[in-house]
Amino acid sequence: MNAPNLLSARPVFVVGIGLHQYQRRSDATYVSLGLTAVRAALVDAGIEWADVEAAYTGTALLGMGASRIMLSRLGATGIPMTQVENASASGSSSVAQACLEVASGRSDVVVALGVDKPRGGLGAAPGNAGINNLEGGSVVPFTHFALLASEYMNLHEVSDKQVAKVAVKNHRNGSHNPFAQRQKIRTLDEILTEPISGSLTRLQCCPVGEGAAAVIIASEDGINRLQIDRSRAMQVVASATKTEGLYGDGVGIDAALTAETGGAAFEEAGLGPADLDVLEVHDAFAIEELLYAEALGLCQPGEAASRIESGDFDIGGSCAFSPSGGLLAMGHPIGPTGVGQIAEVVRQLRGEAGVRQQSDARVGMAHMVGIGAVCVVHILRKP
Amino acid sequence: MTTEPRHPHLLKMTDPPTMVGHRCITCERVAFPPDPYGCENCGSPASTFEQWDLEARGSVQAVATVHRHHRSTPVTPFTVGVIGLVGGPVVKAIVEGVGVAVGSTVEGFLAHDEPDNEGNVVVDLRFRVVE
Ligand SMILES: [Zn+2]
Repeated sequence: MNAPNLLSARPVFVVGIGLHQYQRRSDATYVSLGLTAVRAALVDAGIEWADVEAAYTGTALLGMGASRIMLSRLGATGIPMTQVENASASGSSSVAQACLEVASGRSDVVVALGVDKPRGGLGAAPGNAGINNLEGGSVVPFTHFALLASEYMNLHEVSDKQVAKVAVKNHRNGSHNPFAQRQKIRTLDEILTEPISGSLTRLQCCPVGEGAAAVIIASEDGINRLQIDRSRAMQVVASATKTEGLYGDGVGIDAALTAETGGAAFEEAGLGPADLDVLEVHDAFAIEELLYAEALGLCQPGEAASRIESGDFDIGGSCAFSPSGGLLAMGHPIGPTGVGQIAEVVRQLRGEAGVRQQSDARVGMAHMVGIGAVCVVHILRKP
Repeated sequence: MTTEPRHPHLLKMTDPPTMVGHRCITCERVAFPPDPYGCENCGSPASTFEQWDLEARGSVQAVATVHRHHRSTPVTPFTVGVIGLVGGPVVKAIVEGVGVAVGSTVEGFLAHDEPDNEGNVVVDLRFRVVE
């Protein structure tokens, strides 16, 4: 069936953003992390907690029932609260659910947040599916992506130094982001030390820490009723979610899934890759940015490394890739990550990103993939 | 004292070892590892699968040497390859020895773990480059 385009029938906007810095695991409770982000988002939107009609909490690691013990400390208003788990895309899916709820007309003002604290291992369900594989536990995510890097570098005659330049760029971007877990500029030589797997080094792998991010999603009716500043409200024009299909033996799953999901998002928005001014991608490992730049159609296959080297994906280039620092520098605390991407895109479209600002940014995309595999893509536009 | 493969349903201990996958009778898709639930291509239940032997031989499509690992085994550094089997499916497996590169032809062999206290030996399928 052809689903009605809810996001154009009843437009939805991000009207508030708030973050707790991503950081190494600390003594802070997830409740304090989450409340910091939601309070900041309420202040940013200029609304009260009592104005919020529903909450979606993206979390993969906290265990059941995370929301109410946290959000009731803003006032036990009795609103519906739901946890959303979709692996690394949990936060992105909480945003998708909030957008759907507002677009459907059920609510005018909904908060989507992500919060997590790392624990030993990820506890991913597929490991308990009873499908034993040959590699057992020897292929963890960084090796999965190291193998994709090997394939990519061999196919396109790209060097490990060229791939590492993604990390140089994203660490530089993260150095200007007060919410980033890694805020140090790194040289190419520093990036290339400490091998982890294949060509991937420690600084080409994202840190998994703790943190929180929140965005407030509102309808036009909500904006009008609560007298929210229209000039700072950024429209969500596409929200696409897909899971892995059968792409044929040997085809890179993550890139193929990204191409499908990104394509669906572009179609929903009536936009294309050339329209993007900012792009936050799932750069958990440096090679991914190259794969997704090509999968999303920002350049031809094999071209992404030279585009990185030319500065075309820098802040100030044709499309700023991971201006927040991305997962590589801002960090990947799992639940918050996808929400934090939306916050960065909104900040960019508002023109409030300071030294990280991509000039005249009008259209931005946020992209996450997660174990499953799942992929969630949002496109936002300055009205 | 016994010698057992780590995953008995994935292997036949022939020489060279044989990998055991499944073939969906409905759509003829061959897959490895054998799936206990159903066909990702056509949705037929696993009760309609037939066992499908695969030669442990193929070519390396990607390779990575792992320097950090969260467990004591395999001992680092070890090398993982993406291997396109001659019988179709693509698998990831440990490749031993030097000279592993994209394009290398590799074949399976049974690698022995240390025996346990009763002298039982667990063997695992690994690959090595064919000269
Ligand atoms: Zn089938």
